[in-house]
Amino acid sequence: MPTTTTSAASSSSSTASASGNNSNRQADVFSRLASSDPEVKLKALREVKNQIIGNRTKKLSFLKLGAVPAIASALADADDSEKCNNILVQSAAALGSFACGFEAGVQAVLDAGVFPRLLRLLTNPDEKVVDAGARSLRMIFQSNQAPKYDFLQEKNMEFLFSLLNSENENVSGLGASIIAHACGTSVEQRVLCEAGVLEKLVILLDGSLSQREACLESLATVLKNNPEAVSDFVGLESGRHLNSVTELTKDRYPRTRLLSCLCLVVIYNTSPSYFVNMGTKSGLITTLLELLNDPGQSGDDAALGLSCLIAGKEDLQKLAYEANAIKNIVDILKTDSELQTKRLQGLFLSLAELCSKLEDCRCSFVSLQVLDLLINALRHKDADVKAAACICLRNASRSVKNLSAGRFNSDHVMLPLVQLLHDPSSSVQVAVLGALSNIVLDFSSPKSSFIEFGGIKQLIELSKSMDPDARCSALRALRNLMFLADNKRKELFISDVNAQGFACLISDPEPPVQEQALALLRNLVDGCISSIEFVFDEDGLILDTVGRQLRKGPQAHMAIQGMYVLTNVASGTELHKEAVMQQLFPQATGSENFMLKFLQSDESQLRSATVWTIINLISPSSPGAYDRHVKLRSAGIIPQLKNMVNDACLDVKIRIKTVLGQSMSFGDNY
Amino acid sequence: MPVRVVESSTPAQVSGTDPGNRSQLPPSSLLGAGQAFSGTQNVSNQQKEEAWRVNVQIQGIDLEHGYLCGTMEALNVPMADTPVITFWEGEIVDGKNYTFYTGKWEATREDDMRHWSKFPSFSPLQGQVESDGGRQLDLNNYPYIFMRWKEQYFVNVGTDCGLTIAGFYYVCFSCSDGSISGFYYDPNSSPFQKLELKTVNEGRSGFSFSSYELQ
Repeated sequence: MPTTTTSAASSSSSTASASGNNSNRQADVFSRLASSDPEVKLKALREVKNQIIGNRTKKLSFLKLGAVPAIASALADADDSEKCNNILVQSAAALGSFACGFEAGVQAVLDAGVFPRLLRLLTNPDEKVVDAGARSLRMIFQSNQAPKYDFLQEKNMEFLFSLLNSENENVSGLGASIIAHACGTSVEQRVLCEAGVLEKLVILLDGSLSQREACLESLATVLKNNPEAVSDFVGLESGRHLNSVTELTKDRYPRTRLLSCLCLVVIYNTSPSYFVNMGTKSGLITTLLELLNDPGQSGDDAALGLSCLIAGKEDLQKLAYEANAIKNIVDILKTDSELQTKRLQGLFLSLAELCSKLEDCRCSFVSLQVLDLLINALRHKDADVKAAACICLRNASRSVKNLSAGRFNSDHVMLPLVQLLHDPSSSVQVAVLGALSNIVLDFSSPKSSFIEFGGIKQLIELSKSMDPDARCSALRALRNLMFLADNKRKELFISDVNAQGFACLISDPEPPVQEQALALLRNLVDGCISSIEFVFDEDGLILDTVGRQLRKGPQAHMAIQGMYVLTNVASGTELHKEAVMQQLFPQATGSENFMLKFLQSDESQLRSATVWTIINLISPSSPGAYDRHVKLRSAGIIPQLKNMVNDACLDVKIRIKTVLGQSMSFGDNY
Repeated sequence: MPVRVVESSTPAQVSGTDPGNRSQLPPSSLLGAGQAFSGTQNVSNQQKEEAWRVNVQIQGIDLEHGYLCGTMEALNVPMADTPVITFWEGEIVDGKNYTFYTGKWEATREDDMRHWSKFPSFSPLQGQVESDGGRQLDLNNYPYIFMRWKEQYFVNVGTDCGLTIAGFYYVCFSCSDGSISGFYYDPNSSPFQKLELKTVNEGRSGFSFSSYELQ
């Protein structure tokens, strides 16, 4: 005969009356939670707790009905007498369960104002009550919503140390959790270290599983980006504890392995000199790669941890590549279509770091068909995943070899990227602009999918964005698009941007934007000689603007591009060369010629660019070269070059020799 | 350039890199992305004199890794209806990433020295290269850059075009005027086919420079 159980934990009837029974039971539980009879209340508390443990749906359902305030009241109403201990334990446990891995639950618990009451449980004479309180508080401190803990206040520090000193593993674990989640600044790190927190934490390394894990998490927080703290830690008992952490990367529990790896990643990123042993680096990478396969949160955290470890470090990227990292990650991405967003983000960021510097890695992408995975990810609903996929594409497309082979120049790749230019998330927009900047460099053919999808117009729009980074990125993409472009392609841009508009870009308030605008202009006036005419539109507005910007004493990077614009224009006809001279020697003078300043710059590329302009101006094949040479000499420019015959930069030295050779042909002597 | 090749069974040698403590070579304006060069390759053999017109374009350069790449276009190739374009990758001899010793592509040390010594600009360096591989050389201040260029694939024709790209070039670049000379090495082809290129200014009166920036 089928029966129903009173616990209702496994009710699975699908009839309307059964669901009606469910909501009746839930409403019933609320009235029992408020009962004055402690036995009834206790039973109700146990019921709720048993239903919600590990069950997110039930948590949400009870939350919506107001269970948390009801339980908070039950906790608040219970006094500290022995007979109320069970109520304290069960209500603390239920609240802890609501807060466990469930942000809405944490919010509700904090909103119910029960946090101080939970703290008071830690001083209860009954060990079970203390335990329940500590566990519950640990759940809250796993969340970013946990109250801020002011370590700088002495009584807070005393309380923290009383927790760390406790024999109760949940209480000492709580102390470590508070540190792990609340310690944020280097001042707090210093204060904690000076108070002796490292010595307390390392004791927990030898404790229970839960204490070890709490300790590893909090160590990572205290040591992060703080070389002094790392030095203190490593110095404790001559490195014994660093060895212990390293040993824990081989522990049988995945979470312990993960947390010890993350701790080592923090130490490595802060003070890499403690990791001279290649084996440790390889071991760390291998362990993180294995953990990528863990189905739980450890796998998510391992992915992000790996990307943090190898970021910017070519030697570690190489080790990871040799350990088959790319294939491992690609296999996970290909076989599991239901990955959590955090893990997806971590995996794509790891791939991005792997191919940030290594050409072999970028070439693997093509052979392993990673592109298709990335294109799919561009359509993901989560902004972080889309941004990570774009960053990955950006780094993979640093391969000139693959750009040249046209691997990225297809509708299939380009369309989703162009669509993402309109993404509401600014981090996605920045990331997609970075990817497009590289991908538009299609050496392979004059046909460009990007242009066919209306990309130029979109970039021109973005070059007028309120955000200077967006303006800069858009101009960089245009610059790259116009690299060695034919007249037809240049015309597509010029027809949409008039001289006035372009002059505004060159005069942008932000130097990096000016730099990219000038670099774009440099490319526009390269190539076929007729393209130089663009700078003369609207009475030479653009060329005048370039001259004006150069006279303002700009930063070196902007000046380099400006001088190359002049170099390129000066490689044209007589008229073009004379127009450049007009910019170098305008009618209203008085200030020192900017070329003299540039020739004395510390930046060798700027000295080089300036000399190239001179080379082109006095190129012997042109009729006016002699007169221009006279003018340059009397302005002190040729004499300045004579002082630079031993320039520290070989390229500059060689170019100066060319100029002086030309000079000699005009009858000038060294 | 692509040539007909008979199989060879010489085993590959270890690529002789010798990192040492060197820094990368300084940039040279005329050996940069976007720079174009034009000239000829002498493909004469015992049967006849022949030269192909050749255009080269640099597409990328990474001095930190001693790497560069680009395309090579051969015109008036008898076996082909159209110009034949290949993509090549280069190694820059900087003493940090690469040395004068190839260590692969069936080129022995003797082959290396035989080819490098055909460049007049190599003679001041020859003694030191022969004695200790050139470890002490200060290539940072030398106005010539030595490279090896290896074609990787055909861009516009199929591999069944009757041509192959099994060999590589020993290359010398002059920093002062951007001229390039090279010798093609392939054990199965006519030896010392010479490549001679000059910078191209596309009808301009002077030098013009394009650039890109990879993110």
